[in-house]
Amino acid sequence: MNIYLLQIVNGIGIGMLYFLLAVGLSIVFGLLRFVNFAHGAFFLLGAYLCFQLGELGMSFWWTLLAAPLTVGAFAWLVEKFVLRHIYQLPHHFHILFTVGLALVLQEAVISYWGPLGNNISPPDLLQGVIVAGDFVYPKYRLFVIAFTAVMALLLWWLLEGTRLGSIVRAGSESTEMVGLLGLNIDRIFSLVFALGAATAGLAGALAGPIRGVEPFMGVEALGIAFVVVVIGGLGSFFGALAGGILVGVLQSLMSTIWSEGAHLMIYIAMAAVMLLRPNGLFGRAS
Amino acid sequence: MKNLVHFRFTLLVIAAVLILPLSLGSGTLATEVLIFALAALGCNLLLGYTGLMSFGQGIFLGIGSYAGGLSLLHWHLPLLPALFCAMLAGALVALLVGWFSIRQRGSYFVMLTLAFAQMFYFLAYTMKDITGGDNGLLNIPRPDLALFGHRLMATGSPWQYYAFVAVLFVATFWLLQRVVDSVFGRTLLAIRDNETRAAAVGYDVTRFKLAAFVISGAVTGLAGGLHAMMTGIAPLSNIEYHASESILIMTVIGGTGNLFASVLGAAFYVLIGNWLSSLWPRWLMLLGFLLIGVSLYMHKGLYGLTQSLLQKLRRRTVVEAAQINRNPAKEEQS
Repeated sequence: MNIYLLQIVNGIGIGMLYFLLAVGLSIVFGLLRFVNFAHGAFFLLGAYLCFQLGELGMSFWWTLLAAPLTVGAFAWLVEKFVLRHIYQLPHHFHILFTVGLALVLQEAVISYWGPLGNNISPPDLLQGVIVAGDFVYPKYRLFVIAFTAVMALLLWWLLEGTRLGSIVRAGSESTEMVGLLGLNIDRIFSLVFALGAATAGLAGALAGPIRGVEPFMGVEALGIAFVVVVIGGLGSFFGALAGGILVGVLQSLMSTIWSEGAHLMIYIAMAAVMLLRPNGLFGRAS
Repeated sequence: MKNLVHFRFTLLVIAAVLILPLSLGSGTLATEVLIFALAALGCNLLLGYTGLMSFGQGIFLGIGSYAGGLSLLHWHLPLLPALFCAMLAGALVALLVGWFSIRQRGSYFVMLTLAFAQMFYFLAYTMKDITGGDNGLLNIPRPDLALFGHRLMATGSPWQYYAFVAVLFVATFWLLQRVVDSVFGRTLLAIRDNETRAAAVGYDVTRFKLAAFVISGAVTGLAGGLHAMMTGIAPLSNIEYHASESILIMTVIGGTGNLFASVLGAAFYVLIGNWLSSLWPRWLMLLGFLLIGVSLYMHKGLYGLTQSLLQKLRRRTVVEAAQINRNPAKEEQS
């Protein structure tokens, strides 16, 4: 019994990371109407920046701020100088562009940091485990759950409670209308793309101490982010949250029951959801 | 003459198949070009003719290699039946994947095919008893070509195998060219250009897309089977994300909407890749930049580039001819 409870809590922790990873993809799609295939590469970049800054002596807490900001700034530049000029092309050119970008980033990571993985150790404060009765749990993972929950609340507030959020939501309905209202839609596009990349970078930085860093984690992350948004519904905040936790818990539980099939299972879950609700759990009918 | 124009692409492919041995020193490399050209043809049928960007072509390549390899290893099938198994497996899996994916359009479809590619990767990884897991299937034999027990042709050496693959490739290309030139192919183009209108005219869009998917899966499965026989192994990497990505990149770099373009794309990818990877192991970065360049400036790929260059050349020749004609006249006036 205890092992299953542990795995469920574990799964929620991983699931919150998956949420953070997928929500950026989802928001970017909602506003910009294209799927960012470089999203996994932003995750990868976040993790490696966290690793590198740690090696340079920066404290983990600062890397949690610096890594996503750097990834976000990079994405902002990419959007501003390149992506913006191909919005009017058919969607598969957006995909090609981002696939090319992901390839460049992945190879850049390998040529700088080498093809082998590295470990990131969690900060001293979060090392070790918490013991509560017969419940033993790593401190760092508890921190991840709490931290991502705060981030989720912040993002939700940003989207639901601020002016920027209402513009983004209006933009998802009709960008032309928002533009006609005199709002600078170009600036909002850049901002949202940067925000999406930064959340992926943050997820990467948080995932580092759990799974280490290796150059192909971006591809895996991209696959998982897709599953999460397919399950939850593309463009939906709560879909990403529900999908992320569902996938995390499922993967975590499966790893005790049938460890080799843990990854396989989440894709089977995706197929099952698609059969029952083709637009995802929280998706709107298209 | 009219017939020659009609068959111009098949003739081009025959020329390409003859040029490869003359210009390359390695039979294996030449065979690899043709095998990946087959896979790119399958991808192009979807992307260029049906408007479906599939990130799942690696599934069919991998399944084809496994099916071909297993039927040779365990059932000891002759060459052609083993390849038929690979094709059939590719077609059946494409039916399954297609049935799920084509209900969605645009970006959603692309994401689904990629998610399915990941699913089949983990499936192959998990079923170690059948697929060999990380190691893949090893020691796959390559039987000689035989028909009803009569040995027709040896396939032992790389160039012998190349000859066999080349004949098969030309035949497949010709068949696919017929498919895209048929009413069926024209309907696919109509779906690509305007799906809603095609549906409104009365075509069962979903069924046409599914049929295209199945044909694409069969061709790619065949490529997988041929690849397994060429290398003697059916590796896990054939079903990986990277395989799907490579096939898509070849197709796009060659150019979409023309089958011969895929031959160009595959040849470019395999040959340049082979050359560059010996110079610099991180050559994929250059490929990434190339892909960015294609998506920004070169939407019709290598084929489109060649076409516009030829057009420019032709126009210049016409202009030059006109100038030559005009100049004597000027001289006379002065």
